[in-house]
Amino acid sequence: MMARTGCRRAGLGLLVLVVAACDMTPEPGLARGKAVYGTCVPCHGATGGGNEELGAPSIAGLPQWYIEAQLEKFENGWRGAHPLDTVGIRMRSMANALDNPGDRASVAEYVAQMAPVNPEPMLQVGNAQAGATSFQTCIACHGPDGTGVEVLNAPPLVGQADWYLLAQLRKFRAGWRGTHPQDVSGATMRPNSLLLDDAAMENVVAYIQTLQ
Amino acid sequence: MLERLVQQASSYAADIDGLILLVLVLVGFWFLLAEGMFFWLIWKFRERPGGRSEYITGKEKHLKRWISIPHALVLVCDVFIIIASVRVWYDVKQHLPQADETIRVTGQQWAWVFTHPGPDGDLDTPDDIQTVDDLYVEVDKTYHFQLESRDVLHSFSVPVFRLKQDAVPGRRITGWFRPTVTGTFDIQCAEICGIGHGVMAGRIHVQDAGTMAQWVTANSSTAAQ
Repeated sequence: MMARTGCRRAGLGLLVLVVAACDMTPEPGLARGKAVYGTCVPCHGATGGGNEELGAPSIAGLPQWYIEAQLEKFENGWRGAHPLDTVGIRMRSMANALDNPGDRASVAEYVAQMAPVNPEPMLQVGNAQAGATSFQTCIACHGPDGTGVEVLNAPPLVGQADWYLLAQLRKFRAGWRGTHPQDVSGATMRPNSLLLDDAAMENVVAYIQTLQ
Repeated sequence: MLERLVQQASSYAADIDGLILLVLVLVGFWFLLAEGMFFWLIWKFRERPGGRSEYITGKEKHLKRWISIPHALVLVCDVFIIIASVRVWYDVKQHLPQADETIRVTGQQWAWVFTHPGPDGDLDTPDDIQTVDDLYVEVDKTYHFQLESRDVLHSFSVPVFRLKQDAVPGRRITGWFRPTVTGTFDIQCAEICGIGHGVMAGRIHVQDAGTMAQWVTANSSTAAQ
């Protein structure tokens, strides 16, 4: 009799667990962000320092608002949707995988509190002195020290890998980024990229590296 | 029968379903018969009070027949399956019908890039139309596809077409399909290709001739800019 009651209770407990598991919407927050970040590790690394071979930038310590905005752009196809943007397409697919409510904010919060990783310079090109002149245009949005201005949706440039900055400037100029009608902040950046030729881009990136 | 589970939307989908059904019926028949016989024998020769076990070598003719006759019958069924398989394989994979249009399908981590030839009908010209994850085709038109991969192994799979073809880096693989039903259907990657494999999904939009012509006109002007 006792054994039968025990079995019934165990069965009932199991049933409760199964029903509860059917509605396990994760609670947003840092813990959830850390769990979601597991899918970012293969490309961006456990410390968020990025991986040049995969085209994955350093993201550790970037502002939460910027990461959220970029994830939204990737998810909506405003960024990473050009057929030739191999790296962007890869990121767009991963952004689309964030299908739980609050996951975007959670992972952005987690990445924002990570200790910044300043990548080593990879490019041996560009004249920083010449780049200082071109950078005067960037100051209007990104600030004189390149640390970014949230109200203008301008991210920090300091602490970012030189190869990534150069790649993004080229993407803006080629129209792979900043051309979607909904991408308002991207549309602000694109005309400025059109002002720069290859050498000027390398120069301004070289100058940004001196700000770090 | 299988179309109740997954719609048939290409000219060869019914042939492939027919082959699957043939294999299912023949193999299923022998499976059920063998299992039925197995359990019947267990029941017939169950332990009984006073019963003695008997050593059977299986060399006697009347015992060997239990193996040899089903074996011969299964081989006959195999011949039917092989004939049907070769016929379907030839039609789908080895025979390339005249194409009305040729498109390019490029797999990459983790999206499909499609290149439509545009108004001139030729690939690699300025009016080509490229799309990511959305493929637009016309119903009742035969398409050749040139399948490529930019990075790792992928597999271009359209379940309603019963189409699945691996994409191998460094190779351009040509295949074909002929959509028979208008609508929007799933495209998936059927080869593990990295952490984003599960989200490497696309859509194929099968449209009537008028809608397709409008789409080409609307997008080719953008492509030529």
